[in-house]
Amino acid sequence: MKKRLVSLLLVGVMTAGMLVGCGGSGDGEESGNGKEAEEGSGEVSISFYTTETGKDDYFQDLITDFESKNEGITVEYIAAGDDQLQAWMALYSSNEGPTVSLMDPINIYENQERMLNLTDQPLLDNVKKDSLSTLTFDGKVYGIPMSAAGIGILYNKAVCDKAVGGDFDPSTIKSRADLKDLLEKIEAAGAAGSCITGVNWSIGAHYLCQVYGAAIGDVEERVAYVNSIISGDAKEIDNDVFNGYMDTLELLAEHNLNKADPLVGDVNVDAAAFAEGKCGTWFMGDWAWTYLAELVEEGAEFGLLPIPYSDNEDDTVNQCIPTSYAKGYCIDISQNTEEQQQAGLKFIEYMSSDEYALEQTAIVTGQALPFENFTFEDKLSPLGQSTANYMSKGLAYDFYGTPNLCPSDIWYECGAYMCEYLSGACDRETLASKIDGYWSTQEAR
Amino acid sequence: MSKQAARKLRSVMQFAGFGLPAVFIWVTVIIIPFIYGIWITFTDWNGLALDINYVGLDNYVAVFSDATFITSFLKTVIYAVFTVIASNVAGFLLALAVTNGIKAQGLFRAGFFTPNIIGGIILGYIWNFIFSYALTGFGKAAGIEWMSTSWLTHPARALIALIIVSSWQMSGYLMVIYIAGLTNVPGELTEAAKVDGATGWQVIRKIKIPCIRNTIAICVFLSIARTFMSFDMNLSLTAGGPYKSTELIAYKIYQTAFTSMEFGKGQAQAMVLFVIVAVISLLQVYFTRKGAEN
Repeated sequence: MKKRLVSLLLVGVMTAGMLVGCGGSGDGEESGNGKEAEEGSGEVSISFYTTETGKDDYFQDLITDFESKNEGITVEYIAAGDDQLQAWMALYSSNEGPTVSLMDPINIYENQERMLNLTDQPLLDNVKKDSLSTLTFDGKVYGIPMSAAGIGILYNKAVCDKAVGGDFDPSTIKSRADLKDLLEKIEAAGAAGSCITGVNWSIGAHYLCQVYGAAIGDVEERVAYVNSIISGDAKEIDNDVFNGYMDTLELLAEHNLNKADPLVGDVNVDAAAFAEGKCGTWFMGDWAWTYLAELVEEGAEFGLLPIPYSDNEDDTVNQCIPTSYAKGYCIDISQNTEEQQQAGLKFIEYMSSDEYALEQTAIVTGQALPFENFTFEDKLSPLGQSTANYMSKGLAYDFYGTPNLCPSDIWYECGAYMCEYLSGACDRETLASKIDGYWSTQEAR
Repeated sequence: MSKQAARKLRSVMQFAGFGLPAVFIWVTVIIIPFIYGIWITFTDWNGLALDINYVGLDNYVAVFSDATFITSFLKTVIYAVFTVIASNVAGFLLALAVTNGIKAQGLFRAGFFTPNIIGGIILGYIWNFIFSYALTGFGKAAGIEWMSTSWLTHPARALIALIIVSSWQMSGYLMVIYIAGLTNVPGELTEAAKVDGATGWQVIRKIKIPCIRNTIAICVFLSIARTFMSFDMNLSLTAGGPYKSTELIAYKIYQTAFTSMEFGKGQAQAMVLFVIVAVISLLQVYFTRKGAEN
């Protein structure tokens, strides 16, 4: 009898505990996802979700500095794993949407109804206007860019110097013919001319999306071209820009260090080969300094070359690099209180204007920063300086120009087609028709 | 209150005390998400949008008219057939080996089971390195051309690699179930067969296999269900590559929901997978019962 009483008591306690545990507060959204401000105390707790991976120490250092400069605000740091969207969606599903998120512009665009309109915020005064196009929807700004990422062909100056028999000047590469000449000279000097990391995100997003870039025209013309592909009025295979970039890809593939196994794609291995001079150039972007910094010898010089899509030396696009404002800070209004949103604004303002924050961002990302009070150009990586140099000369264009020019899954879907093409498993017509097929499932821009 | 009513009340209270917590957990963790999932299949929700529109059966129509989903399904069938055969044969042979009274058989059992307790993600990354660099390094050094390039960059070889690693991982798990079956085979039967002059192979074929028919049914159906739901190994070993040639059905669902942000369609694909796995599980129950009756 006693045993039964005890077990019944235990079961009762368990059940009660479970019900208490599972019972909601009933005021889910109002409470600001559990990070509620302590009324009257001036204390506010916010969360920051970042999809910029591998930079935990940097973010945590800045959060500590921000908290010390903004008494009463505490920031919970949440870093994305391999999949940036899944964790973000999980946080929103559990009513814990982050106050501030660092996301791709397309993700902010697709969820703009949840985001704070920053258009009239004073912090925008410090952001360079030409960096906001991918974060502006219907004339409203929903995000602040983190940095400007230059995309192009990285060159190892020592290898190129040896190849050209003197001081290599990157501005001499004005057409595909010039690039071909350089690659051949590098090979004659004993190194592979180029390197392509055969992964979907590199050739599927960074390389392929140039096809919808400045070579097509201004932003309106680019959108019109994409819409014509979506509607089926135009075909990729008939487009000179598409064919031009694919011709250049074939040129790079012909001199590829990974030619024997083009899809083995490992960015760390390729970075090591590039740093050691096993190849003279590498299709990547200035973020590659993250991989290179530890590998390069003191004093070694590296820079960025544009990707020419034609043999026309007078076409300035052949001398321009696309710069991508690939990540933007945004503030949630759907699951965060007014007070948390204000604290979130302070956090973004700190990240985009505080001297210490800008200096650390320049050092850690190595990339050019699109902020008016940015004065740490000397702290940028050699590749970041190269990007900044193109930007200052007006030889850079906004990669997408609009937030939704290319869909968020283009890197995966079309990346697979591009990998197939790079490996030689399909011809260009098949590639073009597969890309047309992908676009046909999209909605007009 | 009559005695009967009191007994009934006590029985209800006992159920409430002991059964309700389990039912509560089952409903909140399984049933409610399941119904919620079915509801999502009739919407165009992207996983985050505040506005949700009903699209009727559009997502199901899209699933069955999507050639890439059918392709993924067929690849999953090929993967499942070979993995189930390979892992069951290996599991059975390993079980035979470690139930024969060899020295340190406990150590061998633990060793063969270990791959199963290492997560699929970790195993995938380890084997990714082996296929991409270790084997290619050996191939280049030995001058073997087909081993000089990564297995994971060729569609057919990548699928074979996936089958090999999955079979290697699962065989240890199945081995444990086969061991349980084999140790239940009456010793006097095998002894009698040996006395009658049966060879080792005859003992296996005529005595052991018929005696563990139920175990075989459990292992086969368990491995079929597991291969159809295979995800982690697919993610870390091949990530669906090269060019989506090893995109199995569970991975395809994940990509649809989380990369393309088509939650409704992804959930509809998941429902199709659920039906497949449910049918397999019901068949397992049916055959296991039939085996027990026989």
